[in-house]
Amino acid sequence: MAIDKTAGTAPGAMIGLSADGTEASAPKILAFCCNWCTYTGADLAGLNRMKYPANVRVVRVPCSGRVNPQFILRAFQKGADGVMVCGCHPGDCHYATGNYFTRRRFMLMRNLLEFNGIDPKRFHARWISGSEAAKFRDTIAEVAAQVSALGPNTRYREER
Amino acid sequence: MNKNEQQQKMRETAARLLDAGEAAYVIGFGETRFPEKTSILFAHNAEEADRFVWNDACVQSLAKYLLEDRFADYRVGIFARGCESRAINRMIKDNQFKRDHVHILGIPCEGVNAKRCASCAVHNPVVYDELLWDAVPEPNPETARFARAEAVEAMGPEERYAYWSDVYSRCIRCYACRQACPVCSCRECYVDMDRQGFQGKRHSVSDNQTFGVTRAFHVADRCIECGECERVCPMGLPILGQTQKIIKDITQLSGDYQAGMNAEDGNFLGAFDLDDKDDFM
Repeated sequence: MAIDKTAGTAPGAMIGLSADGTEASAPKILAFCCNWCTYTGADLAGLNRMKYPANVRVVRVPCSGRVNPQFILRAFQKGADGVMVCGCHPGDCHYATGNYFTRRRFMLMRNLLEFNGIDPKRFHARWISGSEAAKFRDTIAEVAAQVSALGPNTRYREER
Repeated sequence: MNKNEQQQKMRETAARLLDAGEAAYVIGFGETRFPEKTSILFAHNAEEADRFVWNDACVQSLAKYLLEDRFADYRVGIFARGCESRAINRMIKDNQFKRDHVHILGIPCEGVNAKRCASCAVHNPVVYDELLWDAVPEPNPETARFARAEAVEAMGPEERYAYWSDVYSRCIRCYACRQACPVCSCRECYVDMDRQGFQGKRHSVSDNQTFGVTRAFHVADRCIECGECERVCPMGLPILGQTQKIIKDITQLSGDYQAGMNAEDGNFLGAFDLDDKDDFM
């Protein structure tokens, strides 16, 4: 995928506006990736020159257990169309048990979002290990396709 | 025993406790100028204890007032119904104070407020130092436990979003729900922190909604379903539905779940099971 070097510097690009001030049509996906597994997996995907949709913004967190459910809400408020939380597979956590807490927390959070009218396709939690570059690529492609199909998220969006 | 006799018994017991120096003060209900309203009364001596009242206007939860003095080196007496006793258990579990910090005067109660007590399933205190009168039969609540959550679940996604947007468009962010909630025990609440980034301070539907969801998630597995949040809401918003939904999901995952039934169990989010399902992923 060609990299548009001007995209990042255009006014408003950082908040998802294209040069003429209208909203970019491509969905924005925020992925919280754990430093030890998924971030390394994403790194490996890059090293292997794998291609995946450029809609994803990766935020590196020390552990998927670091992700506060409030981050998800804040992301939707600030313009994300989809949010992902990715961490090590159960049993592989660098801190031994962090992702077990993540699992419970985001099971409840996902249901609560659905209960509040957010489409569950906009929120994903996934286990992706450091060697699963292909899984990272496929997951991003899958989530991007789902979120694109839903269109831009207006729910919880902050009025500017 | 009718309510007048019960009130007399409460006054006598509190006076005895205070005279014996077993508690620095006793928390209960006192009279106000209005017959349909009661206030919280902190009785420090037998004379003051004679002003305790017990009637159908005693709707407030007393348990929250224990947090005011959670670090005190003296004991505090409190009248506790089912809901208050569960709140006390929850506070002990959350390490707010030790069990012997409170002297619990158990008062079995058959419900005081039609709205708040409609779905109450715990009339008798689950923890107490002494029970003031005989336990009452536990009810079969007229309203199903998760009635509010189920009503919203039955809607479609569009309707659900419209429903909660409408609810939170009326929210005035007074934080009365937080103030009254017996399990909201943080010394400083995140909504009061002025440099905390992820909760918008503006009065907008978006910020109100995120506040509502976050508040529910903060109490999540600790909610004792007393309904104080809804009772104190000046806008009358049905916000208990949010926590009901969370408890319902917990119930589906780990079997029957009721916070505050004892001081040991009830730590869903702070614990894990290796066999937890991840089919949502």
